[in-house]
Order: sequence, then C-alpha cells, then structure tokens
Amino acid sequence: MKKKTLSSEYPFAIGIPAVIWQILFFYAPLLLLLVGSFLTWSDTNTFTGVSLDKFTFFFRGSYLSVIASSLLLALSNSIICFLIAYPLAYFMAFKGRKWQNLLLFFLIVPFWTNFLLHVYAWFFVLEREGFLNTLLQWLGITSEPIIFLNSTFATMVMMVYYYMPFILLPMYSSLEKFDVKLIEASYDLGASWLQTLRKIVLPLCSRGIKTGFFLVFIPSFGEFAIPELMGGDRRMFVGTVVSQFILGDETGSFGAAFTVFSCVVLLISSLALYFFIDWLLKPKATRW
Amino acid sequence: MRSIRLKGLKKSLEGGLVLNGIDLVIPSGKFFALLGPSGCGKTTLLRLIAGLEQADSGKIFLGERDITELPIHERPINIVFQNYALFPHLNVFDNVAYSLKLKKLPKELIKEKVLKILEAFHLERHVHKLTTQLSGGQQQRVALARAIVNEPDVLLLDEPLAALDFKLRERMLIELIELQDKLKTTFLYVTHDQFEALTVADQMAIMNPSGQIEQIGTPKEIYEFPSTSFVARFVGTTNILSGTLHQLDTDPHISIEGLGQFKLQVPQKREWMQEGCNALISIRPEKIFISKKEVKNFSNVVKGIVSSIVYHGRSTQYNVLLNNKSRLQVFEQNEEHFPQEVIDYDNEVYLYWQKENVTLLEQ
Repeated sequence: MKKKTLSSEYPFAIGIPAVIWQILFFYAPLLLLLVGSFLTWSDTNTFTGVSLDKFTFFFRGSYLSVIASSLLLALSNSIICFLIAYPLAYFMAFKGRKWQNLLLFFLIVPFWTNFLLHVYAWFFVLEREGFLNTLLQWLGITSEPIIFLNSTFATMVMMVYYYMPFILLPMYSSLEKFDVKLIEASYDLGASWLQTLRKIVLPLCSRGIKTGFFLVFIPSFGEFAIPELMGGDRRMFVGTVVSQFILGDETGSFGAAFTVFSCVVLLISSLALYFFIDWLLKPKATRW
Repeated sequence: MRSIRLKGLKKSLEGGLVLNGIDLVIPSGKFFALLGPSGCGKTTLLRLIAGLEQADSGKIFLGERDITELPIHERPINIVFQNYALFPHLNVFDNVAYSLKLKKLPKELIKEKVLKILEAFHLERHVHKLTTQLSGGQQQRVALARAIVNEPDVLLLDEPLAALDFKLRERMLIELIELQDKLKTTFLYVTHDQFEALTVADQMAIMNPSGQIEQIGTPKEIYEFPSTSFVARFVGTTNILSGTLHQLDTDPHISIEGLGQFKLQVPQKREWMQEGCNALISIRPEKIFISKKEVKNFSNVVKGIVSSIVYHGRSTQYNVLLNNKSRLQVFEQNEEHFPQEVIDYDNEVYLYWQKENVTLLEQ
C-alpha cells in the first residue's frame, strides 16, 4: 500500500507557510504601494480621490535622469560583472578542475562577513592614504594621492565586487555540466577557439548567463546602500529618491508612486534585455 | 585519401605511459581497425592523430606532410565520437552544415551538399529535428554525416557503435563498410570489440595494455596466425598449451607433459625456436574435431572426458578435460546435414587437429 504522507494527501498543505509569508510580506505591501500611489489626500489627511497626478509629476527631466542613471548603473554593473566572471567561470570549469573547490571556497568566504565590513574594507583600500594610493605612489605611477572615494568609480568598484558572485555561480554551474566533447567536436570540424565560444559554448550556457545577468541587473537597479556610501551625494539613483520620499514628511505616497513607476521601467527594460541577450546568444539557424 | 604514418609516438597521461613508441602505417583508402583491450591507449592514439592531444615525442605524417604540430582545426581529419557529441542546440541540418558554414561556402552549395548527404543516410525526414529527438541509430548517422560532409582525408571512428544494440550494430557495420567502399576515405576504426574489428577491417593492428602494437595484418592473418600469445588470446577464443620443442629441422613436434607429443608445422623458423626450449601452442576451438570414434587422416590426437557442453545456437561448445588436468574448448557447427554423433557429459572422446592449424608462440 502506498505510504501516506502529508505532501501526498494534501499537496498544497506543505506550501501553506511559504504562501502566507509571501502574501504577508510581499504581495500585501506591494498592493498597498500600488493602491497608495493612485490615492490622493487633502492637507488635513482626508481622502479626496483617485488620480494619476503623482505619475505625471515624475515625467520631468530630473526624475527621468535618476531612472536613467539607475538603468545605466545596473547595465554597466551587469556587463562588467559578466566580463570578469565569465572567463573566471570558464577557467574554473574547464582548466581549474583540480582547485575548483578551493576557488569556490574563496568565492564564498566574503559572504561570511557583514556587508558593512566589506564597505569599510574598501574604504581602507580607496582612501587618500589607503592601500591603492600607497601602491600607485610606490610604483611611481602617481606622485600625489588620487581621491577615489565619493565617486562613480568607487561606486562601480564596490558594485562589481559585491555583485560578481551572483553572476559567477550560475554561469559556473552551467559550464561545469558542459560536455567537453562538444568543444572538441567543434575544433575537429574546423572551428577556432573564438568560433567555438561563439557558436557552441555561449549558446549552450545561455541559461546560466541570463540567470546570472538578471540576478545582478535587477537588484543593482534599486541599489541604495552602495551609491550612498561610496558615491557621496554626487549622483541620485532610484533607491536614493525612493528612500527620501518614503522617509520624508508626508511624501510617502510620492515614494509609492515613484517605486511603482520605476518598477514598470525595470520590468520593461528587463524584458527587452532578456530578449536581446537571448537573440544575441542564440545560434543562427539556417533560414529556409 | 592519404595515408597516416606514425613514428615513435610516445604519450604519458597523469604520470603513466599510455603510448610506448607507436610505429604504424595506416594505408590510404583502407578500412583500418585498431583493436585493443579497454585502457590500452587506443583512444589516446586516435586523439593524437586528430590533434586533440599533443604527443610527448614522435611524429605524425599525413601523406608526406608532417602534421605533428598542426592545430586540430587545420587538420583534414574528422572524428566520429563515441557518444557522437552532436550539438544539442542545433538541428540535424545545422549539425551537419557546421563545418561547411565555418568554411564560408555559399549558402546554396551548403544546402545542396548537406541535403545530399542526409538523403544518403536516410535522414531526409529529420532535417529540421533537434538531434535529441532522434533514435540512437539516427544520431549515429548524423554524427557520420557531420564528419564526412567536409570530405576529410581521414575519418577517425572512436568506438562509434558502442551505444547501439546488437542488431543495429551489425547493420551499421555493413553500412560503414559500404560507405568506406564508396568514399575510399581512409578509415581508422578504434574498438575493443574483436567482432567489429574483424568484420570491418581491410587491415588491423592489435594493441596491448602497455601501449604497444603487437601485430599488424589482415583480419585473417591476425586470427589464423597470431604472432604472440596476447594476440591469440585477445582475438577470438583459443586453447593455449605449453610444452618443449623438439627436432625443429627434421620432424618438428612439441611434447606436453602428461599428454605426449604433437606434430607442428614451422613455416618460418625464428631465433627463439631452439631444440628443447619452452613454447606455447594455440589451437582455435573450431579447428578441433571431436568424436567418440577413432578417425584417421589427422596429424594429432588427444584423449579426454567431456566436462561440460554449452549450446550456442549455431554451434555447440564442448569443454574437454585432458589427462594432465588442462582443458580444451571445442566448437562444433550445428549444421545437421547428416545425423550427428551424440556426445554427452562424461563421454570419453578423441580430439583431432591438423598440424597446419596450430600456431607456435614464444613463451
């Protein structure tokens, strides 16, 4: 007789806690945000109606440029992360089989320490009398210390440093399962290393690349802490603006509207990127 | 359609010597089989020829050209991999067209060539399918088509039928022979299966586990006249007996302890063959005639007791215990043209063979 288990009798029962969690802490706040962004209130905090005013409010240069910088930050961060992580994943999967556990270990070690500690560590590297300046002067490349902190450069360094593992791990796991015989077959049929990469390796691990790419792209779009800590107040990003509205005096509903607005932008740009990457990596089949 | 010449090839992998000085000529336009037990280095040899590995020392020639240093994608040599290594993200057409597209041939020409070869392999109905949607035999054909569409000088086949079931394997062997006959491309077929090697090969080489070539010859030469005991044991089944040699020049015979003397034929006297030296003889089970009666016209006879009988369908195998406790295997065809003598367990039987069918081997 078939053994009765909770999951076979009530397949949904086991998922209930997760669903409740999801509803309470994800869907409900999202719905509140969404509804809140359409409602208007009078000065005395009485409900006055529904309008799109708050959205049209954001259709102006300063806010659109904030969204554009966030998109640019997210895009450049994901591309730089990809460019660094792909060769590393390739090396780990195909050449570094002997040390792959050690390499993975080194990659995971930073996750054991708190995020703020990473930031402070980078302060020490990038500050006026820091490691990087000392090194550059010792090598004689510069004579005066360069100011690295509070700049887009510092933001980028920290972003790439922090997000790189998120794209590396999925790419590594798809490359690790890769059948080396396919690469050999491609060489044998006359392809160079680059042609093999382009026609065989990249298309076959496109899922890993896409997963990793969006694991970096989506959160870096809304990244708040890193630009704030490393970038000074030189440039505004979506995360900064949202936090200012939400934490500000009676501007919460504007925060909600801006969040919804930028989410829509993120959704559309992610979809466009997804299809673009898909098209880029897909093998070009012979047309008939 | 050029020959491959290997000169003193050596290769170590992970510290162990895999190929120990291989000298071999694979004649142009021939179906050549390389037969050896698993792990003897035959696949490594194939990979060296293809260019997937670099030799530690030695040379590889294609025709007159030294290709030892030539990178893999420039060698006019293609492989059919053991598990086919078909590209799972491409359909049948694009798998086969892969090498032609790299050569940047005109689109129409590519289509024409690929469709022609797919038709020859009975794959025309599967042109647009992904290779993962095909059966094992069809995948095998796609792999073959992909390797030969580029008209290589040499086609390397690495145990290409290992993943197919027996019936399909037999059919593919015949197709391979016909294909080679038609293309006249030099085929190098690597296998550990002696049945496959004997079936397909014009010529074959036997490799031993220490990475050396033991013998080169036609399948018939290898089977009938193995030059070492390794070859005799590895190719087909055989009976090996050991004894001492006598009267090599006048009336050559071997005396085996507990059994007596047996006549030999020595067509070519070799240096190790000395009066009174130890030697082995190999007799194929099907070369022995088994009977309960005394028969004339055989040069050798020995008596024994039937210890077991195994029925194989087309033949029956008798295992016969001799006086000196050694055992001989005998195959008898079940042709049944005439009523056959009934031989049963524990029957006392005579085993007969001709001296011409005995191979003398160095101990």
